Amino acid sequence: MLTWPAMAVLFVFAIFPLLIMFVDSFKSDSGAAGIVFTNYARFFSKSTYLKLTGRTVFNSVLVTVISLLISYPLAYIMAKKLKGMKNIIMVLIIIPFFTNQLVRVYSWLIFLQDGGILQSILNSVGLVHGSLGILYTKAAVIIGLVHAFFPYMVITIYMALERMDNSLIEASTCLGASTFTTFRKVIFPISMPGVISGIMIVFVPCLGTFVEPRILGGVNGTVIGTVIEDQFFEIYGWNFGAAIAFILLAMVLLSMAAISKWGKRYEE
Amino acid sequence: MKKALSRIYVLLILLYLYVPILVLMLMGFNQSRYNSMPFKFSLQWYQALIKDTKLIMAARNSFLLAIVTGIICVILATFFILGHRFLSDKVKGLFDSVSMMPMSIPWLIMGLSLLLLIRAVNLDKSMFFVGAGHVVISLPYSLLVLKARMASMDQSLEEMSASLGATPFTTFRRVTLPAIAPAMVAGGFLSFMISFDNFPISYFLMPNGVSTLPIEIQSSIKFGFTPEINAVSTVIIGISLICLTVTGIIMGSSLKSMMGKGGK
Repeated sequence: MLTWPAMAVLFVFAIFPLLIMFVDSFKSDSGAAGIVFTNYARFFSKSTYLKLTGRTVFNSVLVTVISLLISYPLAYIMAKKLKGMKNIIMVLIIIPFFTNQLVRVYSWLIFLQDGGILQSILNSVGLVHGSLGILYTKAAVIIGLVHAFFPYMVITIYMALERMDNSLIEASTCLGASTFTTFRKVIFPISMPGVISGIMIVFVPCLGTFVEPRILGGVNGTVIGTVIEDQFFEIYGWNFGAAIAFILLAMVLLSMAAISKWGKRYEE
Repeated sequence: MKKALSRIYVLLILLYLYVPILVLMLMGFNQSRYNSMPFKFSLQWYQALIKDTKLIMAARNSFLLAIVTGIICVILATFFILGHRFLSDKVKGLFDSVSMMPMSIPWLIMGLSLLLLIRAVNLDKSMFFVGAGHVVISLPYSLLVLKARMASMDQSLEEMSASLGATPFTTFRRVTLPAIAPAMVAGGFLSFMISFDNFPISYFLMPNGVSTLPIEIQSSIKFGFTPEINAVSTVIIGISLICLTVTGIIMGSSLKSMMGKGGK
């Protein structure tokens, strides 16, 4: 009975609104009465929206892959190489993702803008001449998103590696395996649950971002999230917006289910 | 050699994480209006900040909203966690997934669905719905902290207290409450922080003319920025750091284990 207040709040302000959104997605924005499928038909028949979906998924995949490439070595170094410093480094990795999302995006905006700090540094070293031209490109969006999400992955991989029994590595090298073979056959498979959790925790929220793409990508940053936002605040096609939001929700839930199914294979 | 390489790698990652934020903080002390070089130290943007009534109102709103959200989340989460033990396994599983759901659904969707709820019940945007949205998205964080504490608590203490003749209320007041109180404070701070930093929910649901600090940052990005925003950002980072430190100190190692669980 004590659980009811929390459940009631969640039902009224989380589940019920999603149901309303689902119902609204079958309403017409032009005022036609009754249930219509035009919103979904419009989304799936126009190549712009399909391309957009593709681009959103591609962005998330790219961010996930880059995050993995950055996070794995870092997590490995923290778990196996650094002794005393690893707690400090862990804290330093955690802090930025508790700083305000907008502050973070804004800091990249200032950092990357033409005439900003990065440009003056690169100009003075002679790497780049003149303006940088990186802000308002897809690259800027990816840089911002990786920055926002990769720390989560460092933590999940670190936890998996930390739990691992070091004698397995020793056994493998004693039996004559090269460093690379040991990594491929012993270390990496054992760390797989952490890698998969990390993929989940980066890929899924990445699908629904709209702040980073909008601010850092400008017109080049259009993704599903920004299109939904525009439907609600620029075009006032709320019901069509609800339909796109529902498609996004389906993508989020499906990818979560797929990734967790993949992860189940690695549980003992 | 190898050791040096790994140190350089860690250093590079930390630079990537921190340089933009540090530059931003530094620019708050720079005289230039356009965040440009050369750097000249000045406190003028902080002085301007103190006089900027719009930003002060936004800060006040952010604080009030986050405090109310934090308190409500702790109360809801505490009740939930106390009742949670008595549920059957099936109901427990269902309630667990419902309570964690707002963590995995994009805030964009949570915010817009609440906007559609407001339209469906024919009401105007109001602080009530902003607060409700903040509570829903922050609640899982309070719950996680309390759950972690509850799981590590020795439940036989409560049984002992009951068998020694204490009423359920006395047992709660003298045994359970002292044991979970640190987690309640930590969970409250965490929810405070989530709410204080939240942009999407506030942005979608805020009544016209009312704003929070994240909304002010967004509109200053949209309509041309002022260095005051650098100063505000620095203040926001400071507040988040204080919350994080308090949560970290109170929870110690349980926070670490919580983050491990959050990843699954």
